[in-house]
Amino acid sequence: MNAGVWAMDLRALGAAGQMSLRQIRRYPSNFIGQIFWPVMLPAVWVLMGQAYSGGGDPQAMDAFASRSGTTGITLFIFVGYAMYMWLSSLLWGPGTSLRREQMTGSLEAVFLTPVSRLVPLFGPTLTNVVWTVFQLVVMGIAVWLMFGVVLPLGGVLLTFLIVLAGLPAMYAMSALFGAAVLRFGEIGPAVQFVRGALSLLCGITFPIVMLPVWAQVTSTVMPPTYLVAAIREALLNGATPIDVAPAAVFLLALSVVFGGIAIVLFRVLEASARRTGMLGRY
Amino acid sequence: MDETRAALALARKDIRVASRYRLSVASQIFTPLYQGVLPALLFGASFAVGGRVVGLEKTIGTADLAGFIFFGGVISGLVATAFWAMGMSFRNEMENGTLEPTWLTPTSKETLVIGRALGGMVFFVFGQVVLFAIGVALFGLHLRWEMLYAVPALVLASIALIGVAHLLAGIVLTIRDANLFIDCTNFLFATASGVAFPIVLLPGVLQPIAYALPTTYAMDILRQHALGTRPLMDPVLEYVALILTTLVMFPLGRWAFDRAERRMRVRGTLGQY
Repeated sequence: MNAGVWAMDLRALGAAGQMSLRQIRRYPSNFIGQIFWPVMLPAVWVLMGQAYSGGGDPQAMDAFASRSGTTGITLFIFVGYAMYMWLSSLLWGPGTSLRREQMTGSLEAVFLTPVSRLVPLFGPTLTNVVWTVFQLVVMGIAVWLMFGVVLPLGGVLLTFLIVLAGLPAMYAMSALFGAAVLRFGEIGPAVQFVRGALSLLCGITFPIVMLPVWAQVTSTVMPPTYLVAAIREALLNGATPIDVAPAAVFLLALSVVFGGIAIVLFRVLEASARRTGMLGRY
Repeated sequence: MDETRAALALARKDIRVASRYRLSVASQIFTPLYQGVLPALLFGASFAVGGRVVGLEKTIGTADLAGFIFFGGVISGLVATAFWAMGMSFRNEMENGTLEPTWLTPTSKETLVIGRALGGMVFFVFGQVVLFAIGVALFGLHLRWEMLYAVPALVLASIALIGVAHLLAGIVLTIRDANLFIDCTNFLFATASGVAFPIVLLPGVLQPIAYALPTTYAMDILRQHALGTRPLMDPVLEYVALILTTLVMFPLGRWAFDRAERRMRVRGTLGQY
């Protein structure tokens, strides 16, 4: 592939990102949801934690600490929900963008252009990063204003590094989902199911040791598991970059695996679509 | 009699339409299970000492975690039915372009709400039966026959929620982003009713709002009878508060709905999308 084609694909990738950014701007009321849910969902779970712990009963807190490695329920929950919100915006955004293009009738037109298939697959993910960072900031402010938890600066910086390290794996995972949902058709139930399954497997609201062994094993091949665990280590236990380096390595490996599967699946689907004319269907 | 027939026809229509989307129906039933019940059970169990959730016992007077969560789901489901199946359904009709023709029939507007309430209640009851069966079979949920004592409270709360549905229908017909509005208010209403945790844990400024909701009392009465939890206040007073809030909610909702309808007739926005 020559440099000219690469440059053309990069321009198309930028244009795809610009398009999804423009769509975000057209629906400003979505910003309300992007502030409401990252604050209210974890806040309710923190209050549930207070109910289950008997308002900080020493025995109950010890039991929780022995399973989660911390007594900081508030931050434990907020970190988990930061991942939940990221998963949500990922699955509803880039994860379903191909299917939404199909529903609006523009997917076939996009596929008739000479750009690489990676452009429609990964293009909309660019703006999703904006949401992810925005939600992280909102949650950081909320946990401080509502629960008086001040995040350690070192931990915050390390969190951003961990998020950067996890970006490829998360978007590779969403690309895989995006390709699969194109075939599956129904967006809503698919997003709910996958988000619910990942939330259960990756320790969003509870320590992973609470899961049965088979589920714990499954969680080890899910990128969110490493991200949540590493961010909790950084913010709750003062971990250093060296401490979270193994998680970053796993995330990199998973990004290669998920990305590879997504590309293969996408090619299979495209070949099938050419035969069946599926791209233009609603 | 004609109105009853119309209400039943509406309920049948809603059930028929929904049953065409089986995956969505299954999702509506199982989503609360794997996104609400299971994580809450595992989170609660992580505080358990020797298999007993001593913290919960200290907070509400019982260590029955499964019961606390599943019975919270009953009121949560009722609220969701009022918000989505009743309140939001008018908006859906509007978006489908069928609201104006429906409005032109000689059926009273209350019948339109009641019909949707009946359809929504069928799905609600079906969903709860499935969830409770799963709870009993897999999660150690124990059902006591005393829970039936809470049925009058649930009936009263349902009447109050029909009033709330009127109010919501009036609002969603006049605003643009109805989906976000219903999603957020449904969550806040259920949370303030104490479905996830006792309302005494809410920040002080929010507690008066919780005490103004009929579902708060229905929730507490249900948990008292079903689980033997400590009441928020004297149960007799709770029934009085439930009746009073229902008496306020129902006419308030009707009034708001009538105002919205009148406004839409004057502005001619009934057929707009």
